[in-house]
Amino acid sequence: MATMLTGPRVEPIEPFEPSQLDTDDILGIRAGAPFRLELLREFKVDTQLGTIWLGTWGLLSVALFLAGSGVLIAAALDATGGSLLDAVKYFANVQELPPDGLGFFHAPRSGGFWELNMLLWAGAVLAWAGRCYDRLRRHKWRPYLLFAWLSAISLTSAIWVWHPLLMGSWADAPGLGLNADLDWAQNFSVLWGNFYYNPWHQLAIFFLFGSTMLWGMHGATILATSAEGSHHEVAEIKDMHSGSHKSMLFWRWTMGFNANPKTIHDWIWWFSVGVVLSSAIGIITTGWVTNDWYVWAVDHGTVEQYGPMTRDAINQRPNQVKLELPVYMPIPNEMTEYTGVNK
Amino acid sequence: MLEFESAYRKPGNTLLGQLFGVDPFDFWVGRFYVGLFGIIAAIAIAIGVGVLFIAVGQYGDWDLVRANIPAPLRQFGLGPAPFLQGGAWQVVVVFATISFVAWAIREVEICKKLEMGYHVPAMYSLAISAWVVLQVIRPLWMGCWCEGFDLSYSGHLTWVSNTGFRYMNFYLNPFHAYAVLGFFLTAMVLAMHGSAILGTYHTDKDPNVEMLREDNFWRDYIGYSIGEYGIHRLGFYLAFYTLIMSDLCILTSGTLVSDWVKFWHPF
Repeated sequence: MATMLTGPRVEPIEPFEPSQLDTDDILGIRAGAPFRLELLREFKVDTQLGTIWLGTWGLLSVALFLAGSGVLIAAALDATGGSLLDAVKYFANVQELPPDGLGFFHAPRSGGFWELNMLLWAGAVLAWAGRCYDRLRRHKWRPYLLFAWLSAISLTSAIWVWHPLLMGSWADAPGLGLNADLDWAQNFSVLWGNFYYNPWHQLAIFFLFGSTMLWGMHGATILATSAEGSHHEVAEIKDMHSGSHKSMLFWRWTMGFNANPKTIHDWIWWFSVGVVLSSAIGIITTGWVTNDWYVWAVDHGTVEQYGPMTRDAINQRPNQVKLELPVYMPIPNEMTEYTGVNK
Repeated sequence: MLEFESAYRKPGNTLLGQLFGVDPFDFWVGRFYVGLFGIIAAIAIAIGVGVLFIAVGQYGDWDLVRANIPAPLRQFGLGPAPFLQGGAWQVVVVFATISFVAWAIREVEICKKLEMGYHVPAMYSLAISAWVVLQVIRPLWMGCWCEGFDLSYSGHLTWVSNTGFRYMNFYLNPFHAYAVLGFFLTAMVLAMHGSAILGTYHTDKDPNVEMLREDNFWRDYIGYSIGEYGIHRLGFYLAFYTLIMSDLCILTSGTLVSDWVKFWHPF
């Protein structure tokens, strides 16, 4: 079976040039013997798995991530009275909720699980940024990937750190868990007066859909011209051949505008980074610039005022809305009433 | 014209040329290739945009944010609606769909002219499917053109908001969740690919050394390098997956499932 899925072990195809940064790291181990997973050939992608660099930053990141995951498992087992079966059965509803207020060192069930878990995972994400920096320097890349990773951190930190700090309570951050996460997204939008009218949310969706569109366009263009080598993009940037010519002319003839092998990557980098940057701005301005994006949109003329909405009432409501979220449990009476499916 | 462009601008290899031996539309206007389907698309765009402007003029609000072509009222069902009560929307949707499809076929002709694969029109057709599902197939299934979204900035936002709440909680729609996953994954993989190219193209060395540098970086960083060809396959299929899930997400809402909260508690 193993030989059906994997070919024989092979030596690394490309040697690593020696580097001071590799030898300086006391945990610097290039682990694993590379081998080929022949199954991947069916998907027409590279078949070599491994090697992987461990390194101080990487091992630290993985250790922190596993420790945080351990807290999550401990919280799940605590919620189900130690039953692993129940924890698996109700995994979608098992959740860690943040504490009220900005204090630290809460009892585990009053937010302590959440605090410890978030602290460990935040450390893991930041250590991964250190690993990113270290490997980029080692391979002499310009630091675009690090900036993209830090941009992603700007969004997660806006959600889990900056917005709760501005609001004065960790309870404004999402809980951890599948439904806890989905419910937070729904409630956050409603709580702040409908996020569709948040202009930064609109811009983020523009970039997000644009990213998918650009992957569709760029991926399709390169696949369509790869017979003539357009996928050798770094080489094509310096010396273009017919594959790149065709991929440029296709868009020029179709829509009157084209990028080139270099500038298409400027477009895609900024679109993908724009998703998280504009999202982060949208989160941080929420509750600070306005406490109701619908009212904000009416005031700024980007939406009509629908119906007899009493805007004063909305504006005067307390900033902190206590949400009582019922845990949905099926009740026998409802069984005959509703199936969730149209008749 | 780009300096290499004249070598690629060759007549022939079009549908009309293959059928009748002569193609009167086989020419370029400025940067644009025209062709039979360029003519069809241009006519459909002209009619659609013209009707759109006439309707906006009759509604009398030229504000870019508020100008709106509303979907037909519920009372007209699947029948034709009076011009200002949804008829304009019906005409615009018909001609927009015609122009999208003509544009896709025009892309096929350009692909044939350049002797390249048909991946772009294939992916573009999938994007058109999202429009057709939203504005044609789902309204037909629901039995009312009023299910389509208004054509405007604030109108379509309101439609999205109302549709989400109408089925109780759209976040619990599994296809919506899979589509959101796809959107975020495409953004992440896109950032990784852009960073790889922008981060390595500057060095003035042998291109083969730089490919090696890319592969070795990804092997160090995450233990696997998908390769310079494979990354475009991954991006292509991620976009494909995201569009399919988006189609399913809206197609099932209101037609098969009316409440995504109760959907998970059927008994």
